[in-house]
Amino acid sequence: MRFENRAPEETVNYADEHPLKEFALLVVGVLGAVALGAALLGFFAGELAARVPFATEREYAQSITLKFEQAKLGPAQRGTRDELRALAGKLAAAMPLPPDMTIRVHYADEPTVNAMATLGGNLVFYRGLLHKLDSEDAIAMVLAHEMAHVYLRHPARAMGRGVAVGLVLSAVSVGAGRSIGGEAAQRAAVLPLLKYSRDQERAADELALRALVKVYGHAGGAADVFKVLGSAVAGEAARLAILQTHPLTDERLALLQELSRGNGWPSDGPRTPLAAALRPAGAKE
Amino acid sequence: MGWLDFLDWIIFLTLLAVGYFAGRAAEARHYASIRKREQELAKVLAFATKYPPAAHLPQHTRLVAGSVVVGSDYFKQFVAGLRTLLGGRMKSYETLLDRARREAVLRMKEEARRHGYRLIVNVKVESTNITGGNRGGLPAVEAFAYGTALKPPAADGSQRAV
Repeated sequence: MRFENRAPEETVNYADEHPLKEFALLVVGVLGAVALGAALLGFFAGELAARVPFATEREYAQSITLKFEQAKLGPAQRGTRDELRALAGKLAAAMPLPPDMTIRVHYADEPTVNAMATLGGNLVFYRGLLHKLDSEDAIAMVLAHEMAHVYLRHPARAMGRGVAVGLVLSAVSVGAGRSIGGEAAQRAAVLPLLKYSRDQERAADELALRALVKVYGHAGGAADVFKVLGSAVAGEAARLAILQTHPLTDERLALLQELSRGNGWPSDGPRTPLAAALRPAGAKE
Repeated sequence: MGWLDFLDWIIFLTLLAVGYFAGRAAEARHYASIRKREQELAKVLAFATKYPPAAHLPQHTRLVAGSVVVGSDYFKQFVAGLRTLLGGRMKSYETLLDRARREAVLRMKEEARRHGYRLIVNVKVESTNITGGNRGGLPAVEAFAYGTALKPPAADGSQRAV
């Protein structure tokens, strides 16, 4: 009898298809589903968080508030902070804030060119931004913008969203562990966090402009802020923190003009000079 | 946002591309070599049966074995990692195991031929994940083929009885 070892059919033991086909299907399917799930869950969690009573949010944020309150400030910095608080009080009267929504302004003596609103009605104004603005109107625009974020519950939304996305991440990591594909799925879940703030910035701008016009009679302060940010040259713009969190889009500028025109607001008017405590030390009046 | 913010994406995509192209090239080369050597070694027969053909008795015996370790690449791991979420055929690893088994059998046959044997019986093939299922470890698979090579005592002039 003659024996032989015949070669097996090549594609019995493996699929004869281009590896990129499976790759594409899996990437689109799995990563897309994870990103979509995270986005959906994040959206609803954000909406839910925005409906939590503000008092609860303030209680939750106590440690944040305490951290800012306990920051060491010299007498001059305390003066700056108190001046900012007085200004915020003036603006709050012109905004539809509910009575229990307290705004707490903090001053940070740091070169960061930014201002931010966080949980519990805490606002932080950095020296770097403060000393770039040369009228009370401009500072008021920034303050009102951040106060509008608090009024619209944006920090709470951001946190709700963050928690939901975190849940998706841990669910994925249980499923896929530390495999490379699992890591990619986790990246996909974070993507919705990156694109977050455009509509919120627009809403905050609109509310801030209304308050600004109510207090000063014109919208010149907003134009000043945008001019200062717009004049940052390319290299500088990359370093300005505020342009990373509040991109100065044409859309934002257009909103200013559109609102001014629609409401018959004067786009310019006499600026209120800076109080001494808001000026850089040694600067002339 | 500067390009540094995307650094981890850049590294990830670079690794993916390197894994894809390097892995594809290595696989194509390996398959070409496997097919060529399978032709060359077609005269060395390997069977799973425990019982040698009666015509070959009495004979010399020798344990012959071949083993190989084949490593995965970043691209294959990535695709397989996504696959673990859904289940189903892990196509990206199927070629890996197919290559490992065929290479191990070839090395076993090469050893047999080197010693003048043309028939191997009782062939077994085993495979092991040498990273031991370590999470985050690099998947590499070992395939091990072994069997009993047989030849008639007169074939090499040796008179040694078995």
